[in-house]
Parts: sequence; structure tokens; C-alpha cells
Amino acid sequence: MVVAEVPKLASAAEYFFKLGVEGKRFRPTVLLLMATALNVHIPEPTAGGVGDTLTTDLRTRQQSIAEITEMIHVASLLHDDVLDDADKRRGIGSLNAVMGNKLAVLAGDFLLSRACVSLAALKNTEVVSLIATVVEHLVTGETMQMTTSSEQRCSMEYYMQKTYYKTASLISNSCKAIALLAGQTAEVAMLAFEYGKHLGLAFQLIDDVLDFTGTSASLGKGSLSDIQHGIVTAPILFAMEEFPQLHAIVYQGFDNPENVDIALEYLGKSDGIQRTRELAMKHANLAAAAIESLPESNDEQVRKSRRALVDLTQRVIMRNK
Amino acid sequence: MARAALLHLLRHRSVATATAPLSAYKCLSSNSKTPSGIRWTSICRAFSSKAAVNDLIGIDMANTDSGVAVMEEKERLDPFSLVADELSLIANRLRSMVVTEVPNLASAAEYFFKIGAEGKRFRPTVLLLMATALSVRIPELPPAGVGDTLPTDLRTSQQRIAEITEMIHVASLLHDDVLDDADKRRGICSLNAVMGNKLAVLAGDFLLSRACVSLASLKNTEVVTLIATVVENLVTGETMQLTTASKQRFSMDYYMQKTYNKTASLISNSCKSIAILAGHTAEVAMLAFEYGKNLGLAFQLIDDVLDFTGTSASLGKGSLSDIRHGIITAPILFAMEEFPELHAVVDQGFKNPANVDIALGFLGKSSGIQRTKELAMKHANLAAQVIESLPESDDANVIRSRQALIDLTQRVLTRNK
Repeated sequence: MVVAEVPKLASAAEYFFKLGVEGKRFRPTVLLLMATALNVHIPEPTAGGVGDTLTTDLRTRQQSIAEITEMIHVASLLHDDVLDDADKRRGIGSLNAVMGNKLAVLAGDFLLSRACVSLAALKNTEVVSLIATVVEHLVTGETMQMTTSSEQRCSMEYYMQKTYYKTASLISNSCKAIALLAGQTAEVAMLAFEYGKHLGLAFQLIDDVLDFTGTSASLGKGSLSDIQHGIVTAPILFAMEEFPQLHAIVYQGFDNPENVDIALEYLGKSDGIQRTRELAMKHANLAAAAIESLPESNDEQVRKSRRALVDLTQRVIMRNK
Repeated sequence: MARAALLHLLRHRSVATATAPLSAYKCLSSNSKTPSGIRWTSICRAFSSKAAVNDLIGIDMANTDSGVAVMEEKERLDPFSLVADELSLIANRLRSMVVTEVPNLASAAEYFFKIGAEGKRFRPTVLLLMATALSVRIPELPPAGVGDTLPTDLRTSQQRIAEITEMIHVASLLHDDVLDDADKRRGICSLNAVMGNKLAVLAGDFLLSRACVSLASLKNTEVVTLIATVVENLVTGETMQLTTASKQRFSMDYYMQKTYNKTASLISNSCKSIAILAGHTAEVAMLAFEYGKNLGLAFQLIDDVLDFTGTSASLGKGSLSDIRHGIITAPILFAMEEFPELHAVVDQGFKNPANVDIALGFLGKSSGIQRTKELAMKHANLAAQVIESLPESDDANVIRSRQALIDLTQRVLTRNK
């Protein structure tokens, strides 16, 4: 296709596949499990099912959701990496920065356009709407992160909203899309949505913790990448509730490495890490509860998948990488 | 300076050698009162009659007298004024559709929708005119009408196509400006220059997602597919444009394909969507598509010419923006057919301004500009013929809109900005 003619675009697309290999393939796993978990016998045909150009069978269509979701996820990563002039000036070769930006934008657009076409092929306008909302949320979340005022940065509510947009919306809405494609009721679709949402939030909260406490691979040294980028996450926000002095440090920002050390000290004295873990656990349990509320099934496959989905909620909490 | 002289030569040479078909205006000006029942074939036949004394096809800014006389006729048929009220409605809705709780994203998204920056609103005008031009009473209901959340009436949903089209168009402009490192667009600073590349990219994505949500609300999967194809075509077109190393960029076929992807696909597929929403047959939908496609191609070809010959605002100095960016357009491609030596210069690229001058020299000697205009004319005429082929109607509004659509095919050719 056209892609092959632009070598660098081809390697940008490859980046997408490499990422799929390196990553835990977490999202597609959740979606495919959800598809099986919702595989209850429904007398009505699927909601979107008009016309003879429908993609052949339900499972294929649900797999398509998983593909579309991954494409959108990677497109958003590529676009998030676009640099602004300030970054260009920080010693990155200007040609690389320009080419890098162009490829990032174009490759992201390419993936988004492929996602659009695949989405249209499902011939279900409700699903189109859901997934389009995800893109909007991703953009909103990233913009929130880029442009926070000092006040907003100190707000837990703002932070949870941003986290929903940036992380949980994709999983929640694609879980819901899986349910809709299967012709499930609005109630069941909402349960799928809730599972995805709580799972996503739990995932991100643990991510925040690991950025401070480190992973088994890093022998306990957190990368501290968030705070060094001036991104204030849940542990710090909790610590700020206990130590108002921390507000001043956060206001100043973290360009000065000393501030990072000061903040870490407060964090250590506070319950920030623990309370974040507890919040993550609360969301994980809510996710598990959503699965348990699904209409009963005697099918062994269905039950196995539901157990796996519940199991995932625990893995998200327990993981240390 | 040498370049100015070359450009001057280009402009006036094209006037001297023009063999233009008769414009619709000349015909209409001799029928000062157009009977309401006039058949369009008689006017369209004017396209193939003998050459006009007043050459309206060449960019001849010196010839103002006939220009003024024609202007008066134009005003009676001004296509833009036919839909002015609706355009305002759409503009307001667009502004409200790009509202978001995140202030920076909101100002980024509405950057090109705010008053004064909306551009010529060419596309929405075409679509609204097409909607009226196709409004015949159909016994069947539109096939898309399932569910109780259908937009209240057909016109509203067609207006929505105009909104969606504008959002997608602006989203692509925002991304293109980042790709081109542009600092100006529509006479104001580009968004990326003002707010940074990343925000421009995000704003483009935001507009695209809003367009998709709006699209989904029409509950017509055929239209969703058409517009999704447009999004894909836009990216393909941009990618094709970036294939600087490829031999294909010297090919006229490749160039026309790229131009279809980047410019004409949006108009053609949204025109087709208008027809589909109205419940028309596949044949009529194809006619709407063909109108949009040929109009879009004509538009772009004249754009290519203007980049060399300049506009009335720029007092004849073409911005030469395409060639400076290494983008080879139709005039140069035609010139290359006549002067194979030009290949070597194009191969070298245009970072060296001397190469730009050399290329302009060859262009001036060639009939590149003229042939491009002729190709544009061919497509404009095809577009006009398509309107003529639409199923007949006695409705005055329908007739007027079709007249306006034909008028637009001429405006696309004669515009000088």
C-alpha cells in the first residue's frame, strides 16, 4: 500500500507492532475476555445488524474492537510525543525534531484513519459514537495534563477526572462497545463499562505508586518520571492533604531537583502511598463486583472468562512492574 | 528583479493565448430577465460555443471594465448569498460544538471557527446548495431512518454534514500546518505558531472526534463509511505528498490522485452524503459525487496556478509556496513534459533558490500555466454538466440552487484569490 512507499512511515507503523509485542497486551486481553464473558444466548439479532456488508461474525467484530482500540491507543501515544518548540531547543537536532514531529503526526493520523474505516465497517453507529468519544477523552486528558493551573494540579478531583480521560475511558468505552456488539441490554453494557472504568483507574493508581516505589526489576528504585515531569499524582496529592507545606513546593514546580527530594521526604512521612493503594483496591473491588452482577450463565467458557476478569482486578493491584 | 519579471510574463502570456469557452455570464447578461421556466440545457450549451471576447478565464486584472459589468450580473446570482443565513446558523453551531471544559483545548479548537477566521466557507456553501438542488419529493422515506433519535428533519441532518465536513477540513489544516511548519494560515498566525505543535495536533484530533460523534448521530452507516473514507484519503494524500524521493511525484496521474485525496475527496463524498441522506438513488448520489469531485479538482488546479501567478491582494506576486516546499504541482509537471531538462532541476530540489528561478524560467517558456487552466476548465465544465444531468425539477428554489452550483464552477476558475 501507500505506507511502503514512505520508508519512515513504515517504521512508524512497525513501532506500533513492536509496541504490541513489548506491551502486556493488556487492553486486548480484557476485551477478548469480556467478549467471552458476555457470550450469553440472545434471541434478538445484534443491534447494529442491518445490511449485507456486515462483518461476518460477532467474534470477528469484537476482535475488531480490540484492534481499533490498540490503534487509537498507539495513535494517542504518537501524538502525545509531538514536541513543541521549547523542547526542540533543548539540544535536540532541529532536523530530527522536525522529522520526528512530522512522522509522529502523520503516523498517528494514519492509525486514526485506519481505526475510523474499521469502525465504520462495523455498521453500528452507537459504537462509532462511543469510540469517537474515547478519542475526545484522550485529547482532553492530555490537554488537561499539559495545561494545568497550579490550583488544578493540587486537586484530587481534577486528577481523577484527568486519569479517567487519559487511561480509563478507552477501556471502559471499548468494553461497553463489546457488549453493544453482542446485542446486550443497556444494563449489561453499563456493567461492562463500569468494569473497564474501575479496572482502568485501579491500573493507573498502581502505576502512580510504582513510579515512586519502583519495580522488582529496578530493585525498589522508582523512576520518579512523573514528578520530574511536573506531573503530580495521587500519592503526592494525598501527602499534600496531611502536610499543607507541600503545597508551596508543588506550586514552585519540580524543575529544581531539590524540590523533588523535599517532596519525597514529605511523601515518606505521609500515608500517601498507602492511601493510593487503598483507593486502587477500592476500584479493583468495584470492577470485580461489576462482573459478579452480570446475568448468570451456566456456560463453562463464560464462567472461566468471568473468573479471569475478576482475577485481573487482583493482578492489577498486586503487580510490581 | 528576475523572478518578478518571470511571474509577470507568466500572467500576461496566459491572457494572450487563451482560448476560453463562453462563460455563463455572457449568456445570462443578454437575457436580463431570466424566465422562471428556463431550461438549463440552453445555458449550459453556452459552454461549448465560440470563444468569448472578454476572456474571463485568464487572470487578467488589467481588464477591469468587463470585470465590472460581469460583477453586476454575478451579484444577482451570488451563490454565497443564497445560503448566507444558513451559513451563519452552521457557523454558530460549529462554535458551540467545539466547546470543551478545558480552556486551552477550547481556544485551540475554535481557532479557525471564530469570526473572521472562517475562511471562504466554500465547502458548506456547496453542500447547502446541493441539498436544495436535490430536494425533490421522494415517496420512500430515507432508508437510514431507524431509531427514535433521528434528527428532526432532513435539512438539519444535511446541515450537520456541512458542519462535519468543516470540522474535518479544519482538523486536517491544523495537522498540515504542523507538518509544514507553517506560521500563517487564512491571514492569521497558524495555531501551531501561537500555541505550539502539540496543542495543534491535539486540537485536530479533538475536532476529528467531535466530527465522528456528530456523524454517528446521523445514524446512517453508509454516510459514516463515506466520511471515514475521506479521513483515510486525507492521510493518504498527505503521505503521497511527502514521498519526495519517489519518481512518482513527476507523474501527472500520481499528482491527480494525490489531489483527489487531499482536496476533492472531502467535497465529493460529502456531496454524495447529502444525496444519500435525502434518500436519492445510487445514480443521483453518484452525480452529486461527480460534481464535488470535479469541482474540487478544478479548485485545486487553479490554486496551483495562483501560487505562481499571484492574486489581486498580492498584486501579482505568486507566493511560490508550493515549489519552495518542494511540492511539484500541475504547471511544473506540464512544463516538464515540454522541457525534459527541468527533470534534473526538480530532482535536485528547491532548497537552493537558484533552482526556483531556473524552474520558473522553464515554466515561463512552457505552456504549463495555460494547460493547467485548461485542465481546470475541463473539470469545471464536467461539474456543470453533472448538474444539468440531475432529474428535472420545476421548483424555483431547486432551479436557483442548481444555477448557483453551476455558477460556482465558473467562480472556481475565475477567482483570483
